[in-house]
Amino acid sequence: MDETRTVPVEMIGISKSYGGVHALRDVDLTVRAGEVHALLGENGAGKSTLMKVLSGEVGGYRGEIRIDGGSVHLGSPAEAQRAGIAMIHQELDLVPALSIAENVFLGGESRTRLGVVDSRRMVRETRDLLARTGVTIDPRRLVEQLRTGEQQLVTIAKALALDARILIMDEPTSALSEHEVGQLFAVIAELRRAGTGIVYISHRMQEIGQVADRATVLRNGAVVAEFAARSMTAAQASEAMVGRPLEQLYRPDAAGEVGAELLEVHDLSVTPRRPRPGRRDPAGISLRVRRGEIVGLAGLLGSGRTELLETLFGVGSPGRRGGTVHLAGDPVDSRGPRRSIRRGIAYVPEDRRVAGLALDHSVLANTVLAVVDRIARLGVVSRARERAVTAGSVERLGVKLASVDSPVGSLSGGNQQKVLLGRALLTEPRLLLLDEPTRGVDIGAKAEIYRLLRDTAAGGVGVLLASSEPAELIGVCDRVVVLSDGRSVGELDSASTTEAELLAASMGGVA
Amino acid sequence: MTTLFRFRSLFGLVVVFAAAVVFSPSKNGDLLFLNSQNLFNVVRSISEIGILAVGMTLVILIGGIDLSVGSVLGLASVGSAILLVENDLGVVATVVVVLAIGLGFGLLQGFAVARFGIQAFIVTLAGMQIARGLARIWSGGQGISITYGDGPGQAPVAFSLLGERTFGGIVPIPALIFALVAMLAVVLLRVSAFSRHVYAVGGNEKAARLSGVPVTRVKIAVFGICGLLAALAGIVHAGQLNFGGPNDGAMYELDAIAAVVIGGTSLMGGRGSVVGTVAGALLVGVLRNILALNNIDSNIQLLIIGLVIVLAAGVAQLRPASAGVSERKIAA
Repeated sequence: MDETRTVPVEMIGISKSYGGVHALRDVDLTVRAGEVHALLGENGAGKSTLMKVLSGEVGGYRGEIRIDGGSVHLGSPAEAQRAGIAMIHQELDLVPALSIAENVFLGGESRTRLGVVDSRRMVRETRDLLARTGVTIDPRRLVEQLRTGEQQLVTIAKALALDARILIMDEPTSALSEHEVGQLFAVIAELRRAGTGIVYISHRMQEIGQVADRATVLRNGAVVAEFAARSMTAAQASEAMVGRPLEQLYRPDAAGEVGAELLEVHDLSVTPRRPRPGRRDPAGISLRVRRGEIVGLAGLLGSGRTELLETLFGVGSPGRRGGTVHLAGDPVDSRGPRRSIRRGIAYVPEDRRVAGLALDHSVLANTVLAVVDRIARLGVVSRARERAVTAGSVERLGVKLASVDSPVGSLSGGNQQKVLLGRALLTEPRLLLLDEPTRGVDIGAKAEIYRLLRDTAAGGVGVLLASSEPAELIGVCDRVVVLSDGRSVGELDSASTTEAELLAASMGGVA
Repeated sequence: MTTLFRFRSLFGLVVVFAAAVVFSPSKNGDLLFLNSQNLFNVVRSISEIGILAVGMTLVILIGGIDLSVGSVLGLASVGSAILLVENDLGVVATVVVVLAIGLGFGLLQGFAVARFGIQAFIVTLAGMQIARGLARIWSGGQGISITYGDGPGQAPVAFSLLGERTFGGIVPIPALIFALVAMLAVVLLRVSAFSRHVYAVGGNEKAARLSGVPVTRVKIAVFGICGLLAALAGIVHAGQLNFGGPNDGAMYELDAIAAVVIGGTSLMGGRGSVVGTVAGALLVGVLRNILALNNIDSNIQLLIIGLVIVLAAGVAQLRPASAGVSERKIAA
């Protein structure tokens, strides 16, 4: 049956190396019309490079690309677009200060007969495109006013405007809410019916079973397996990606020794001085974290998880605070990161590229940043000391790197996250606040991070972990507190809760 | 490869220096360029810009800019002359007061940048006007000549040392001061916890703040240091010329920025070094010197120096390929 479908794209024996490093080795990939082809692999396995070759962003490859059976050379994104190939990037490539419509038509603006940009037409067409993605936002709104999830949908609308025959989606759901993911899948279904071939990159295994037809697994730049996506199990895929049977991702013996009360939050609320749209400041949150305990924060996008962590760390919205926060019995005023760190609170923010790391700077500089004045004597830092501290952290966290002097941006997502976690742990926190600690992290590194969190908790640290992945919350946490509209609306014991129950609770059915 | 890139600012200096040797006119078989007197004149000629550029490096490292340094230099030169000549202050008291003025001016600018979040470009553009205005008001718009002696209306002879040479009459005092400032700054940026904070603020301010770096204090301090060094350059200026000129130092801020950029420091912040800046300042000095020795028209000199700045900035764009390539990471 499948053989009768047209095959618009064939990549045959693609190899690409940077310096001496082989990013791709002899990779074959076909994308058929009306098919969703999932591309799996750990970070650094070569998925993005392969797709950048196909979208014309990376040249200098060996091998052959055939479009509709004819051999082509794709030297630039423009050539690829002419060949009908479009890519939706993981990083949102939108201009924040322009409107949605202007972004969608950027570089391809429609004009009136007088040569003036025809904004009325652009707005009208953008409205239609947005409607296809299931959102109703005014196309004249500026992109910077949109939430991340909405921006993601705009990039998808932008790709739809190109009317591509092959659409590459790199982690399209990483910033989407449950509801928005549903809308995206509806768009994908529509595109399939229209005969568009889709390459779908994602770390989320359930999604792939839901949306993809075939799945190809890359490891170290080579194809190692191909599955029929619907019958593939998560274990099969993980094993192919990692190359060895995966020790169970979450520890079954999750419940460790739990000690004394550490963090007590009672009816915490913040009335911001200047309310910002899309921000959900705490409006009545109560929870406790004990030493040695990992407590999860669940809730839909916009439920106020991030805002709670920020408020506890002292970087939330400025404004009047209500309720009380105690750390080990002492009231916490949360007046800024420096003070919080000194009191034993560490925070790992959600977006490591924006708020976590100086990507150009070395692993060493990023690792010691929070403790550099502690390891200094009279303001003087010893290089040897910095190196020793970094080496210790790198070893403890199992960061894989060539040298601590290499830029942290050259590491894979998982290793970057470990550097960030290492920095937080060096401050010797009593309470560790984590926001989406495994976003964009491959499955191998994920398992290591979970193990590390367990070990940290076992050392008497209390952990508060916000996540949008139910499996993570249930698998790693002892208890899960559910937030909704800035309020704590329930608490679940993770040992006796299923993912479905957790999701239901997040969506309003209070447990 | 990486090491080579790290020293690309020095590399540029070496190239220009070598070219200067090759194109040097000679007299009695000696190359005029390599004459020690000439070489030290080169260093002297860039010492004021060099001192400004050291402070500017710090400001640019945190992702800022300071357009006020030229005007502060003028204010400090006027201040030095007036305090010495009209207020009969001693040399030490004068230097302390003038440095305090520069420091205070810088701290205020830093405060406006760090606390109110106004862009450094705008704050220091205003500061440039304000310092220039203060210099003209203080001096009544007239330059003040400094004469030396013990009587009233005369400056202590000690101040004239700034125009002298030391170590057997070879090393000009301004060059020595520049060298000391540069060395101090190099050491500071190597070993201090403060410098780690400076780089972090420039590299990713948000990350620095969340890591407990006192971002506001770091910024204020950096602008303070820059103002202090601008005042120091102004004192040197007054001492070299025996004159306090309210209009002096105009456009010096741009020369200082040029030295920083040629030295490979990124205007985006977070990347660069004082060593590079010193090399950048020397490069411009050597270039000017060899062009002058060959009697090249001064207008053509401007042209050539402009091209060198673009060239240097272009070279600074060539970075080792390893940085930022996400797929090329260390295999598991």
